[in-house]
Amino acid sequence: MLSYILKRLALTIPVAFGVSIVCFMLVHIAPGDPLTSVLPPDASAQLQAEMRALYGFDRPLPVQYGLWVMKTLQGDLGVSIATGRPVASELGKALGNTLMLAVLATMIGFLFGSLFGFVAGYFRDSWIDRLASFVSIIGVSVPHYWLGMVLVIIFSVQLNWLPATGAGPGGSADWAWDWVHVRHLILPAVTMSVIPMGIIARTVRALVAEILSQEFVSGLRAKGLLDFGVFRHVVKNAAPTALAVMGLQLGYLLGGSILIETVFSWPGTGFLLGQAIFQRDLPLLQGTILVLAMFFVALNLIVDIVQSMLDPRVQRA
Amino acid sequence: MSAAAPALTAIAAIEKSPGYWAGVIRRFRRDPVAMAALIIVLALVLMAIFAPLIAPADPYRSSMIRRLRPIGTPGFPLGTDELGRDMLSRLIHGGRLSLLMGVTPVFIAFFIGSAIGITAGFVGGKVNTVLMRTIDVFFAFPSVLLAIALSGALGAGIFNGLLSLTIVFVPPIARIAESVTTAVRKIEYIEAARASGASAFRIVRIHVLGNVIGPIFVYATGLISVSLILASGLSFLGLGVKPPEPEWGLMLNTLRNAIYVQPWVAALPGLMIFITSISFNLLSDGLRSAMDIKA
Amino acid sequence: MNPAFATAPDSLPRPPLLSVNGLRKHFPLKGGLFGRTTGVVRAVDGVSFDVAEGETLGIVGESGCGKSTTARLLVDLITPDDGQILLESRRLGVDLDVRELRRHVQMVFQDSYASLNPRLTMEDAIAFGPRVNGMPAAKATALAHELLAKVGLEPRRFAGRYPHELSGGQRQRVNIARALAFSPKIVILDEAVSALDKSVEAQVLNLLADLKKELGLTYIFISHDLNVVRYISDRVMVMYLGEVAEIGPVETLYAKPTHPYTRALLAAMPSMDPDRRTEEAPLSGDPPNPINPPSGCRFHPRCKAAESVCSTGSPGLFVLPSERHLVACHAAIPGSGHSLAEMPA
Repeated sequence: MLSYILKRLALTIPVAFGVSIVCFMLVHIAPGDPLTSVLPPDASAQLQAEMRALYGFDRPLPVQYGLWVMKTLQGDLGVSIATGRPVASELGKALGNTLMLAVLATMIGFLFGSLFGFVAGYFRDSWIDRLASFVSIIGVSVPHYWLGMVLVIIFSVQLNWLPATGAGPGGSADWAWDWVHVRHLILPAVTMSVIPMGIIARTVRALVAEILSQEFVSGLRAKGLLDFGVFRHVVKNAAPTALAVMGLQLGYLLGGSILIETVFSWPGTGFLLGQAIFQRDLPLLQGTILVLAMFFVALNLIVDIVQSMLDPRVQRA
Repeated sequence: MSAAAPALTAIAAIEKSPGYWAGVIRRFRRDPVAMAALIIVLALVLMAIFAPLIAPADPYRSSMIRRLRPIGTPGFPLGTDELGRDMLSRLIHGGRLSLLMGVTPVFIAFFIGSAIGITAGFVGGKVNTVLMRTIDVFFAFPSVLLAIALSGALGAGIFNGLLSLTIVFVPPIARIAESVTTAVRKIEYIEAARASGASAFRIVRIHVLGNVIGPIFVYATGLISVSLILASGLSFLGLGVKPPEPEWGLMLNTLRNAIYVQPWVAALPGLMIFITSISFNLLSDGLRSAMDIKA
Repeated sequence: MNPAFATAPDSLPRPPLLSVNGLRKHFPLKGGLFGRTTGVVRAVDGVSFDVAEGETLGIVGESGCGKSTTARLLVDLITPDDGQILLESRRLGVDLDVRELRRHVQMVFQDSYASLNPRLTMEDAIAFGPRVNGMPAAKATALAHELLAKVGLEPRRFAGRYPHELSGGQRQRVNIARALAFSPKIVILDEAVSALDKSVEAQVLNLLADLKKELGLTYIFISHDLNVVRYISDRVMVMYLGEVAEIGPVETLYAKPTHPYTRALLAAMPSMDPDRRTEEAPLSGDPPNPINPPSGCRFHPRCKAAESVCSTGSPGLFVLPSERHLVACHAAIPGSGHSLAEMPA
C-alpha cells in the first residue's frame, strides 16, 4: 500500500512539473512582448524596467522559468493588470465560491446520477433503462451554458422564483448560509450538476449490471434474498469506482466552471477567468489556470490513493 | 487483384465474402436512432454548405427599428436579434462556423493523435514512455480549462480557437490510439507478419492500421459533440469567433442580455448547438455498436 | 510411429540443418518505485540442440518451460541475450541475416484465430509474405490459391473468406499455407494442433505428414501432448525451466526414459495400454517459478531421487552410451557423486 502511494506520488511530480511549464508558457505564447502582457498599457518606463528585471524577461527562458517557479512557490502569482492587486488575493475568495458551487453540483449530480444509473442497471433493457440512457445522453450533449440560460428564462424571467445572477442580493460577494444567499446558489448548482450526472449514471449502470450478472448474486436473488441483501452487496462493490468517478468529476467541474459562472455572474474562479480574458489580464489568467490545474492534479492523486485503499485491486499507475 | 491472377482463378470466379465494412453498413442501417442522427447531421452539413442559397435574408443586415422581434413575426419567422438581424438567416449561416470550429479540431487531432498513439504503441519502450508522459501533462488539465487557457493566452480569432481545440483533443485520441495499438501489437498475426520479414512501416500499414483505425475513429466521432460545445463555448466567452460573424455560441453571448425581452429568441442558438451535439453523439454511439467496439 | 515421418536416417554424417548453441533469454521484471529491474525470468537458459534435414524434432515440457520462447528465438521474434543460431553452418548475425533466416524458418502459432489478421482475406493473408519479399501481386495471389489447394482448401471457396468465417482446423490450414508461401526449409509448429478437436487434429497431422513428404520439410514440433509428439517426431527434446533435461530418438526416449522428469511426464501420460502404465509417481506440485529457479539441478525439489549433489551442481547434458541420447541428470552421469551413478572407469 505504502509503496503504491509512493509510486503514485513519484508519477505525479513530472506531471506537476509539466503542468507548471504549460502554465508558464501561457504568457509567452501570447502575441507580442511578454512584458506588455503582464503590464497595463499605460505603464511608465520605470515600471517597465522594474518588471523586466523582476520577471527576468531579458534572461533566457529556463532562467525565467526558474524565477517564476521560485516566486510561485512563495505564493506570489503576480499582480493583476486590471485591478493592480496581487493575483493570489483575488483568487482566495473566488476559489472558495467555486469550490462551494462545484461540491454542491457534484453532490446533486452524484445523487441523481447514481439513482438513475442504479435503476437502469437493476431493470436492464427495460423501458426505464432506455429512458435513463436517453436522459444521460442528453446530459452529456447539452451545452450547459445554454441550459443555464434556459433555466434562468424559466425560473427567473418567467416564474420569477429565483434570482438570475450573482451570489447575493445587490451583487454582494459576501456569502452567508441563509435563504437570501442560498437562493442564488440553486440555479447554477443544478445547471452544473447535469455535467457529472450523465457520466455517473452511465458508470453506475454498468457497475450494477455487471455485479448483478455475477453468479452468486443471481443465486441470492433466486433464493428470494432479493432486495436489501442484494442492494447492500451492490452498493458495497460499486461504491469505490463510483466515488472515484465522482472525485474526478469534481475536478472537471472546478476547471470547467467558467462557462456556468459567466452565465450566472457567479463570483468564482471561472468568473475571474472570464474577466481576465475580457481585459486580457494575463497574470490573472495564468495564476488562476495554474491553481486550478494543480488542484486537479492533486485531486487525481487523492482519488487514486483513496480508491486503492477502498479496493486494493485497483492500483492505477 | 484476384481478377489479374491467372491459372486457378480462370477456372471459376472466387467467392468473395462481404468485407467488414459491408457488415458495418448493414448493421448501421438497421439502427433507426443512428440513421435518424445521420440524417440530421447530413441535413445540418448541407444547410451550412448551402447557407447563402437557403437563408431568406442577409445575416449581416441590421436595423435599429426592428430589433428583438418575437418568433413568428411576418418576414422573420424566428424573430430578430439585438441588432435587428434575421434570426433564421443567422442561425442557418451560423452553422458554417459552428460546425467548422467544432469538427475541424477533432479531424486534425484524429490524424495527429493517431500518429502519436500508433507510434507509441507499436514502437513501445522508451519512445512510448516519452510520448505518453508528455501526453499525460495535457491530460492533467480539465479539457475546458486547457482550451480556455490556450485561447485565452493566444487571444480571440478563428485560427487561435481551432489551434487551442486541436491541442485539447490530441491527447485523448493519442491515448486511445496507444492503448488499442499496444493491444493489437501483442496479437500473433503481428508476430507472423514480423516473421515474414516485413518492415515495421509495412506491418503498420497492412496489419495495424486496419485494426486500430476503427476504434480510434469511433472515439474521435464521440469527441465531436464535446468539441462543438467547447468551440461555441469559447465564442460565448468572447474567444474564438469575433462579431459580427454569425456563430451559435457568439450569438448566444450577444443575445444574453435579451433574455428579459425575447427569452425564446435568445435561447435559439443554444438549441441548435444542442441538436447538433446530440446528433453527433447518437451517430457515434450507432457507429460504435455497428462496428462492434466495446466501451 | 507413423512411417511417413521416419525419413531421417539414423546415422548421417552431414552437418545439421539447424544448430543451436547455448541459447539464453532472460526477461527483466520491472517493478518498484522507478520501474527498476527487480528480477529476471530465466525463460531460456543455455539451450543447445541440432536439427537434421528432413527430421521432426518434438519439444515437450510443462507450460512455462521455455518451449515457446525457444521457438520465437529461433526466428528472431525475440532477440537472444546469448547463444548462436546456425542455419546450414551459417551463423545468424555473421554470415546470415534475419531476413534470410526467416525465409527458411517459418512458424505456425497455436491460436489459429489470433494468427490471422481479421481484416484480410485468406488469399491476401497468404500472399502477404511473398509480396513483402518482392513478388508481384498477381503472382503472389496465384501462389496463394495454389497453396490453399495444397492444404486442402478449395481456392474458389476459401480465397475470398475472412478468418471468422472459417473453422479452427481450416484456419490452421491457412496458417500452414502461409508458412509454406516462403518455401521454407524448416517449419516450427508451436502448439499448432493443440487447440483443435481430436478428429480435426488428426486430419491436420496427416496433412503435415503429407506436406513433409511432398516438400521435403523439416519440422520442429512443440507440444505438451506426449501422444501427438510420439506420433509425429523422430527425436524428442524434453525441457524443464528453460533448460534441456533430455533429448533423444523417440523410441529410446519413450521406451527408456532416463531423466526422472521425463519418466514422470510419461507416467502422467494417459495410455490405452495397461502394460505401459508404470509405477512412477506422477509429478506433484506446479513447476517452480522461473524467476528464482532452484540451485543445482532445477528439477531436484520435485525429484524422488534427489541427493545433496543435485542441489549443489548443475548436471549438464551427458551423452549416454546409446549415442544421440543426451540427459542432464546426476544419477545418469558416471562419477557425478550421485549414489545411483556408476563409478568412473
